[in-house]
Amino acid sequence: MKTPQAVDLPQAFHFMGMRGEPDVRMWETAKSCEQMLLAMVQPRFVYLVCPVTPAPEGIVCAGTTLILRGKDIAAHLSGCSRAVLMCATLSAGADAAIRKASAQDVLRGMMTDAMASALTEQVCDAAEREIMDTMPGVYSTWRFSPGYGDLPLETQGDFLRAVNAEKRLGVTLSESGLCIPTKTVTAVFGLSESPVSKGKRGCVICSMAEHCPYRKQGGHCYD
Amino acid sequence: MIDILNKDTFLILDGGMGTMLQAMGLPLGGIPELWNLEAPEKITAIHKQYVDAGSDVVYTNTFGCNRLKMARTGKSVQELIAAAVRNARNSGAKYVALDIGPIGHMLEPTGTLKFEEAYDIFREQIEAGADADLIVFETMSDLLEVRAGLLAAREHGGGRPVFVTMSFEESGRTFTGCSISAMALTLEGLGADAIGVNCSLGPEELVPIVEELCRWTTLPVIVKPNAGLPDPVTNTYNFTPEKFAACIRPFAEMGAVVFGGCCGTTPAHIRAAASLLKTLAPVERHPQIPPAVCTANQTVTITEPRIIGERINPTGKKRFKQALMEHDIDYILNQAIQQIDAGADILDVNVGLPEIDETEMMVSAVKAIQGITDTPLQLDTTDPAALEAGLRIYNGKPIVNSVNGEEESLQTVLPLVKKYGACVVGLTLDKGGIPKTAEGRFRIAKRILDRALSLGIRREDVFIDCLTLTASAEQEGVMETLHAVERVKKELGLRTVLGVSNISFGLPSRELVTRNFLTMALYAGLDLPIINPNVESMTAAVRTYKLLANFDHNAVDFIAHYGGEQAAAPAPKPASGGTMELGAAIGAGLKSEAGTLTKAMLETTEPMVIVNEHLIPALDKAGAEFEKGKIFLPQLISAASAAQAAFEAIKAYLSANSTETVNRGTIVLATVKGDIHDIGKNIVKILLENYGYQVIDLGKDVPYEAVVEAAEKYHAPLVGLSALMTTTLPSMEGTIKLLNERCPWCRTVVGGAVLTPDYAEAIGADFYAKDAKETVDIAKKVFQN
Repeated sequence: MKTPQAVDLPQAFHFMGMRGEPDVRMWETAKSCEQMLLAMVQPRFVYLVCPVTPAPEGIVCAGTTLILRGKDIAAHLSGCSRAVLMCATLSAGADAAIRKASAQDVLRGMMTDAMASALTEQVCDAAEREIMDTMPGVYSTWRFSPGYGDLPLETQGDFLRAVNAEKRLGVTLSESGLCIPTKTVTAVFGLSESPVSKGKRGCVICSMAEHCPYRKQGGHCYD
Repeated sequence: MIDILNKDTFLILDGGMGTMLQAMGLPLGGIPELWNLEAPEKITAIHKQYVDAGSDVVYTNTFGCNRLKMARTGKSVQELIAAAVRNARNSGAKYVALDIGPIGHMLEPTGTLKFEEAYDIFREQIEAGADADLIVFETMSDLLEVRAGLLAAREHGGGRPVFVTMSFEESGRTFTGCSISAMALTLEGLGADAIGVNCSLGPEELVPIVEELCRWTTLPVIVKPNAGLPDPVTNTYNFTPEKFAACIRPFAEMGAVVFGGCCGTTPAHIRAAASLLKTLAPVERHPQIPPAVCTANQTVTITEPRIIGERINPTGKKRFKQALMEHDIDYILNQAIQQIDAGADILDVNVGLPEIDETEMMVSAVKAIQGITDTPLQLDTTDPAALEAGLRIYNGKPIVNSVNGEEESLQTVLPLVKKYGACVVGLTLDKGGIPKTAEGRFRIAKRILDRALSLGIRREDVFIDCLTLTASAEQEGVMETLHAVERVKKELGLRTVLGVSNISFGLPSRELVTRNFLTMALYAGLDLPIINPNVESMTAAVRTYKLLANFDHNAVDFIAHYGGEQAAAPAPKPASGGTMELGAAIGAGLKSEAGTLTKAMLETTEPMVIVNEHLIPALDKAGAEFEKGKIFLPQLISAASAAQAAFEAIKAYLSANSTETVNRGTIVLATVKGDIHDIGKNIVKILLENYGYQVIDLGKDVPYEAVVEAAEKYHAPLVGLSALMTTTLPSMEGTIKLLNERCPWCRTVVGGAVLTPDYAEAIGADFYAKDAKETVDIAKKVFQN
């Protein structure tokens, strides 16, 4: 897929804990980090559409070894006969860009990291659009990721294997269960032939809610 | 070695294994390797189908059969691979290839797997598959991982042939950014027997990639494409056997000689390809490969003058020596970045100092520099152990600096150059010293070249340094050097190197002398000037020469640097118009101003006065505003970066003038084992350093033991640990437990996104810090300063 032409800088500054307008010099630094990041990433994604059926142990994704456990994902996919398993990554270039920026100075390191996070969301949005464009008339839920709600983070391994992420994207899992390249997202969204409640991403089931810095300041990670 | 490859016939590999297994009911995400034990007859039957279809070589069903991926099966690599080789052998195939895919964990620095671990994982697979006829690595993406595998195969494979195929995207790069030329230069250098491409793309998309590969290697080229691209809904590949075979033809015509199929291909695809190949004959290739060095992501051809940056070298530099003694890798990285920004094409890396372990430092420096830049390196050392250690882990094709005409040097250095496929700089000196005449130096150059060629080193990989003498001491020698350069270039056809700075030693206006000599040397045929690229006039001389000598066509590069737009105006000065206060510069986050102001102040003010009366109050002010929510993290870090620049000026001053250092106490910092997020830790580090604490930064993914060892070594009163993920919190707890056992004097402070004060207390940490500012407050408390 094409690299977005720009990073959502307001979102990146939001991730950095910035409130109010950055001054001119801060913007200039940000623009320079943005240029380097965009030149070094190779965003890409893969997906698999598979029938999903509820079973006692969780949602079974037909044709794969993946089982999505927990009540939150079951509720999320209720009314959906199929789901999209998607994995999107900015590539190892994003990690290299963050390392390079960090070696230049700490501010650039932090900025590039935050920008890469913002860019990952942009890439996921674009990937989702591209996927849904191939299925006119089909409705979808929002993207639900392992580690969110009570869907265990440990799901990542089977998830990556199901979409063959290592071979097709170069995405692997570290021993501590972290996707590498780090700016990688796995997500599942349900498909239905009739309109589904899009619901909303929220803090209620978020496992990070308790110590979320955005919530403490009265905000959200997603706004 | 069995004669698998011969010039007269194509070699036919097999097709997809996973495809066949999935058709037999293996679910996506299932473990194919288990079938070697559970259903050996099915595996042999698949191999047999390929043999019947015309495959000369079958790949064992062991793509993911390494100890990490097989851990969840409860079976050993040994039993799985032994069974797989047996199953393949039972098919009656002419040759059985031990198939090895990527480990599935990414190597440092992007991942956490160490090069040495990767090597050992491959070694285990290779030894377990000792009964196979050849070893193949396929679907590889990371060149460093391939290097680990190829080295293991060369050192533990019993001389069996080794094939390597990597997977490229349409951009001509692998997932990790490895280019085709880098793959070819590196793997041919390291002694692969055949190289090529597999998977990732369909055959049509691979055409330009294989074309380029054929231009960069003399080795037999392998093509093993998918049957088109997979359909995400049906998960099938769309090329019929006939279409697949038709696509094979252009590859044979461009000179590829080894063919097979990857995902989605079946025995029918191989049969169709084999019958097509029967109608064709291999095409002989005679590629003209230019002299070149590379990293995985960047190839530098030496077909025009290229600048080698000389600044990573402690000779005559007190600040650099201090950095080496303190293992201050960041300092070295900054030297690297500065030179690249100034125009260096290649960086010389010399980290030798009698007081330190040069081998360890060479490895650390090469790994760290390669983690942040793609610029190729020249490993500069007289210590063979340090040289080999650097060559082992270098990702790409480096230059070795240097060998000379002495027998001992030739015997020690050249075999390493050959084994690791490097380029080498030959110095034209020997036991008798540096010959006075061009003729004498030419003769030594020839001797070095002949020896290199006899060891199988490519002529293009030998660069000769005819040695610059000092004009003030040996004026008559200057032209001898240049004549030698001319002859080496013309008569031996070799590339030439010269360190030019020496020329002006002992003379006034050194820069003038050096710059003119540089231009003369370039005209005489110098390809690789070793200079300080940060001196603008030197870099400009090279750029100008390249313009005048018609290397820089249409002056594109020259105009880009010197034409049209002037450099951006410097950051606006404060309204007062006069000189700025250091404190104000820090508050405003003005890095270069803070550095310049500090240098000026050092002429009249004691360093500690600057720290205590200017630096620290400015940081305190920024910290207080941060706590009140008047400024935010980016501004706080911006101020800290400016303070860092001021501190760097003070450090340079101190190391030049005395041994005294600013140290309010030593703190060890680490991101815990398993966690590779270090942005937060780096922010804490810079702030602590700003306040005058000596920070021993152990980096990320740090084993418990390493933290304890550092706390012991420095008798550190405070250790700071960071973790960003819930899954790595147990590592934090484990580290604290071991610290409490072994270093009872030491206090711990923890931080990171997922931590809470309650959790910090539960895992036995002494302090919880919500941000970098609070860590400084805790340090002040612990050190009572």
